[in-house]
Amino acid sequence: MQRIGFPNADAPLPELISRCVHCGLCLPTCPTFAELGVEMDSPRGRIRLMKNVHDGRLDADSAAFADHMAKCLDCRACETACPSGVSFGKLMEAARSQVVAARTPNLAEGLLRRAVFRGLITSPTRLALFARFGYLSKRLGGRTILRLIGLKRLAELLDLVPRTAPSSAALPARFEARGTKRGTVALFTGCVMRAAFADTNAATARVLARNGIEVLVPEAQTCCGALHAHAGERGDARVLAKRNIALLEPLAVDAFIVNAAGCGANLKEYGWLLKDDPRWAERGERFSLRVKDASEYLAAVGLTEVPGPLRATAAYDEPCHLLHGQKISAQPRALLAAIPELQLVPLAEADWCCGSAGTYNVTQPELAARLGHRKAQHIVRSGAAMIVTANPGCQMQIEAALRREGSTTPVVHLMDVLDRAYARAEAR
Amino acid sequence: MPRAERPASAEACAELLRDCAADRRTVRVRGGGTKDHQGPRRDTDVVLETAALGGIVDHVPEDLTVTVGAGTPLAALREPLRAHGQFLPLDPPHIGRGATVGGIIAANSDGFGRYRYGGVRDLLLGVRAALADGTVARAGGRVVKNVAGYDLNKLFIGSQGTLGVIVEATFKILPIPPVARAASATFASAGVAFDAADAIVRTSLRPIAVVVERTADRRWRLVLAAAGEAAPVERAIAELAGAAGARGVTAEAHDDVEALLGPLRELVDDSAPGSVVRVALPLSAQAAFAESAVRSDRDARIVADAASGIVLVRLREEAAVDGLLAGARVLGGNGRIERTVVARVDGSPEPPGAFLMRRLKDAFDPHGILEPGRSVVG
Amino acid sequence: MTAAPAVVRAGLRGPELAGALRSLLGAEKVLWAREDLLLYEYDGAIDIATPDAVVLPNETADVAKLARFCAEHAVPLVPRGAGTGLSGGAIPVEGGVVISFARMSRILEIDVPNLRAVVQPGLVNLHLSTAAAPSGLYFVPDPSSQKACTLGGNVAENSGGPHTLAYGVTTNHVTGLEVVLSDGTVVRLGGKAIDSPGYDLVGTFVGSEGTLGIVTEITVKLTPLPEDKRTLMAAFPTMDDASNTVSAIIGAGIVPSAMEMMDQLSTQAVEASVGAGYPLDAGGILLLEVDGVRDGLDDLLDRIQAICRASHAQELRVATTALERDKLWAGRKGAFAAMGRLASDYYVQDGVIPRTKLPQVLRHVIDVGERYGLRIANVFHAGDGNLHPLIMFDGSKGAEEVERVKAAGREILEMCIAVGGSITGEHGVGMEKNCYMPLQYSPVDMAVMRRVKEAFDPLGLSNPGKVFPTPGKCKEFSLHAAR
Repeated sequence: MQRIGFPNADAPLPELISRCVHCGLCLPTCPTFAELGVEMDSPRGRIRLMKNVHDGRLDADSAAFADHMAKCLDCRACETACPSGVSFGKLMEAARSQVVAARTPNLAEGLLRRAVFRGLITSPTRLALFARFGYLSKRLGGRTILRLIGLKRLAELLDLVPRTAPSSAALPARFEARGTKRGTVALFTGCVMRAAFADTNAATARVLARNGIEVLVPEAQTCCGALHAHAGERGDARVLAKRNIALLEPLAVDAFIVNAAGCGANLKEYGWLLKDDPRWAERGERFSLRVKDASEYLAAVGLTEVPGPLRATAAYDEPCHLLHGQKISAQPRALLAAIPELQLVPLAEADWCCGSAGTYNVTQPELAARLGHRKAQHIVRSGAAMIVTANPGCQMQIEAALRREGSTTPVVHLMDVLDRAYARAEAR
Repeated sequence: MPRAERPASAEACAELLRDCAADRRTVRVRGGGTKDHQGPRRDTDVVLETAALGGIVDHVPEDLTVTVGAGTPLAALREPLRAHGQFLPLDPPHIGRGATVGGIIAANSDGFGRYRYGGVRDLLLGVRAALADGTVARAGGRVVKNVAGYDLNKLFIGSQGTLGVIVEATFKILPIPPVARAASATFASAGVAFDAADAIVRTSLRPIAVVVERTADRRWRLVLAAAGEAAPVERAIAELAGAAGARGVTAEAHDDVEALLGPLRELVDDSAPGSVVRVALPLSAQAAFAESAVRSDRDARIVADAASGIVLVRLREEAAVDGLLAGARVLGGNGRIERTVVARVDGSPEPPGAFLMRRLKDAFDPHGILEPGRSVVG
Repeated sequence: MTAAPAVVRAGLRGPELAGALRSLLGAEKVLWAREDLLLYEYDGAIDIATPDAVVLPNETADVAKLARFCAEHAVPLVPRGAGTGLSGGAIPVEGGVVISFARMSRILEIDVPNLRAVVQPGLVNLHLSTAAAPSGLYFVPDPSSQKACTLGGNVAENSGGPHTLAYGVTTNHVTGLEVVLSDGTVVRLGGKAIDSPGYDLVGTFVGSEGTLGIVTEITVKLTPLPEDKRTLMAAFPTMDDASNTVSAIIGAGIVPSAMEMMDQLSTQAVEASVGAGYPLDAGGILLLEVDGVRDGLDDLLDRIQAICRASHAQELRVATTALERDKLWAGRKGAFAAMGRLASDYYVQDGVIPRTKLPQVLRHVIDVGERYGLRIANVFHAGDGNLHPLIMFDGSKGAEEVERVKAAGREILEMCIAVGGSITGEHGVGMEKNCYMPLQYSPVDMAVMRRVKEAFDPLGLSNPGKVFPTPGKCKEFSLHAAR
């Protein structure tokens, strides 16, 4: 058999691969290793697979390579655990790009990919429509029908659709700062957020405004490309990145605020994504530096107004792309701690992926369900009456997992919690 | 009448063993002669005395290690180490009667300090042993950590001379703690005494002795001794007072720790008649075991190292011995006869892994000349 | 990376073996695809060798069944925990079956009244302490890899860790084992009691690196958590000052629960990695910990600080919160892997020396580094005299570079032996140092170990090619058989 190495220049860089000294400290932090127990589905093993392809010991188009790369959640918990500083996220996205490049997908898979990545996600209207259809079809028992006709994967996807009717009401273009104005930011509305969680976007803007930050909501912006990058569709990801940079960089704002952890982590890596394009590399880098998670920004500028009390027991589940992807953990907890009477209880494995992981629900439904189950059990045991997180994917996944467990514990975005607390203050 | 031999070097010792093996003469090994009553034993052709293998070979105070000849009485180590403010934290019985370093290792003879400092198996860094094939082997070394090759020290500890003759040993030693104090409290029942002991063991006090003894007047006395810096020692004494108070009795303080612990160690040696059984138990089984011992002999004397689960019982009734050993096994422990009125093999079944022990015995002593009958596999 | 010269035994091999194992144990317990086997050829060290098959047992019976089969077909058995080992212990140098314990990782019992836990060998070390913490207990041995390494591996290597200075290594905390011998016999050794009758087979088994049999269940001591701790980071201008401080503390009659030393190269790597807050301008730093009951801890700490000052400490920092303490320790515990930031590969040594020889041997290490033109970092358990020189290199330069690195490592080990020490204090001999065994032990000593090996594993199928020098590989070393 002919060894082909990696097909193109997006391949995992040898110098990133060789950072791994195979000490194994990442193993116990990896949800797929915990579930499957084989080296191939551990971070160290996956890096070794990349090395083996690089060294010509394994084909880039082999089913095994594709399978183990696909099984990775890309939650990057291993990156936090790694004392050698291996950039696992970068390696994984690079490896997936090579799987995409090396493999000729079958017709159906190719069409589905194109439909999802080019057609659906990038168009707010279409995504909103899908979300609405999802909600409706669920109300109408669509899930059962899909099951019956054998479309199990779609049925499971439908499981993720939130119980509340999605709102995609357009946000005003500008939220005035309350009190003394301390800064101006632009809100990155995101595709999924915009389609299914528009209320959270509004809440984010209100919370910022409450604290003296003027919030612009630029209509001209597009999907961040995170799902594309994670799936190895780097070409598409670059197109979207360039479009966003071009649209947003002229704005005279202090920061681009993101409330979806997955988008934030990706926007912060535009520099890396475009590193080989001399005309865009530096622009990407500069753009990334201006991206801030809403909690990161708020905690940095500080709250000027005390939120109202929320009498509840809550647990915070750390979105992987906030904790591991952006190393943001203390800030959301600090913001929650600022809400009077809100009691934070510990949640076991709060730093573990819930199984959402971008399109993982679609690509690895069984593993996603196992991880969701694991998360739900911990939540039930924690005794929390509310789960706070900061990423739409996590919200949908955890809610679905809890529902399967028969639990009705609500899963709420951090910004919605803060917004509610401020509303409470208002009402007083 | 067996012939006594007193080799003066490791090599001489090995040569003697080789000669004995060649003409199948059996050998007993004898240090201070304080373990004569321990376990079954047969007369042998030769008694190998280790007395001439004595003395400190090496002591590096800064490294906290000491290497000594096996025939050195433990008591003889005290002064030379004390001169450097150090001690070997082993407090087995029979020190006063001349128990030697080699014998203490071969008999795995530990004291109450095991919980705090570790026992022989924790403090022994290396041994040299003369083997039946006439060679002298070294196990371990003189450094506090060493995982190169098998830990053969462990094999010699408690081997009763059945695998080879220990000729030299290196131990970890420690600085003498500045303060040592003791306290005791007496309870009406074994259950309460062991319960109070457990409360102490479950802290990070790390006392040098937590002993429960059944007194002559059939009550249960908990003795605690602590050593170290003044403050933690005071705290330990206070904790005992607290544990006693919570159980309705008053604790008594003792300044002379040795005067208190010494007699407790020598249950085997005291002049009272009867057999002595030593059992090792899971900690929580001690109270039940002690009570069952009393049921089988109303006058049973009992001394338990309650922190390690080692219980010594002196029984007037020889007949009760096997029942007691069986009882220990039921509780998840094991035991041996430490002193017996009639020399005999106890009725214990072979321990799991006996086939491995037999293979080891055959590998080290193919002609069976060393201490015949004294290992658990004969 | 270097492929070891393998002595491949006659016996069932390749697809035939894999097929037989699948029908014996079920396909879900066997890995046989080449791309999978390539992922079981490495551990945390530098040697590699590909297994013929990997078996993932669910229970002891699987291991026994496998062992019986392998005995019949002369197939070597190599146990593997998390593959964090640093001496090639889990590398199938003579081929055969790697047994991965990833699916035997349960805590079977936490016996609070008896201060014991019964666990499966695949359990991660730290997970035991985490599970015991609500009962106020913990498992003492804390190898730096404790977040990942397994209890089975700890038993095999007799692992240590920073806190073994006061509390002992793995062997001091194991009271019972269930083992499967290479002929498939299952035998229980010891139990929950502190002693067991007859020879101390548990003590003999711990640290035997899988060469006597395979551990399938472990009973360990649990220890009450210290009521309080004080953790101190002391920075010194030179390594000599730091070494002298260690001796002075011991000389003052103080035995801290941990006493760790790091040189400048190490602190720089660590700072780039976890940002533990170590000063970058110090020639050497000490990490000291005292623990126990709260009473008197501060006085003890004061005395230690005074000794540090007298030995020219340039900075003393006491952790005031648990977070600060964790941070200081995170630096130490991640130190090896942090070297990945300085070089693509490292070769870590594990020699032990009498504490008093520290300055002498450290100077020798520097000298070796200079002569070979290799960067060597030092991170080690100073209280135990257990050195960890990390020799940095670039594995992509090929086998010659690896040989050069090994030669440098060997010079360091020879020095350790010359001053009365050992070639390994906690990482094990494995296939990495088996040729050096004759440096430390005489032919008689080795012959005795061989007898023990044969008593447990007469078939020679338990992790072959480890611990004992192998004729093919160790030829050049036979001349050096010392003593």
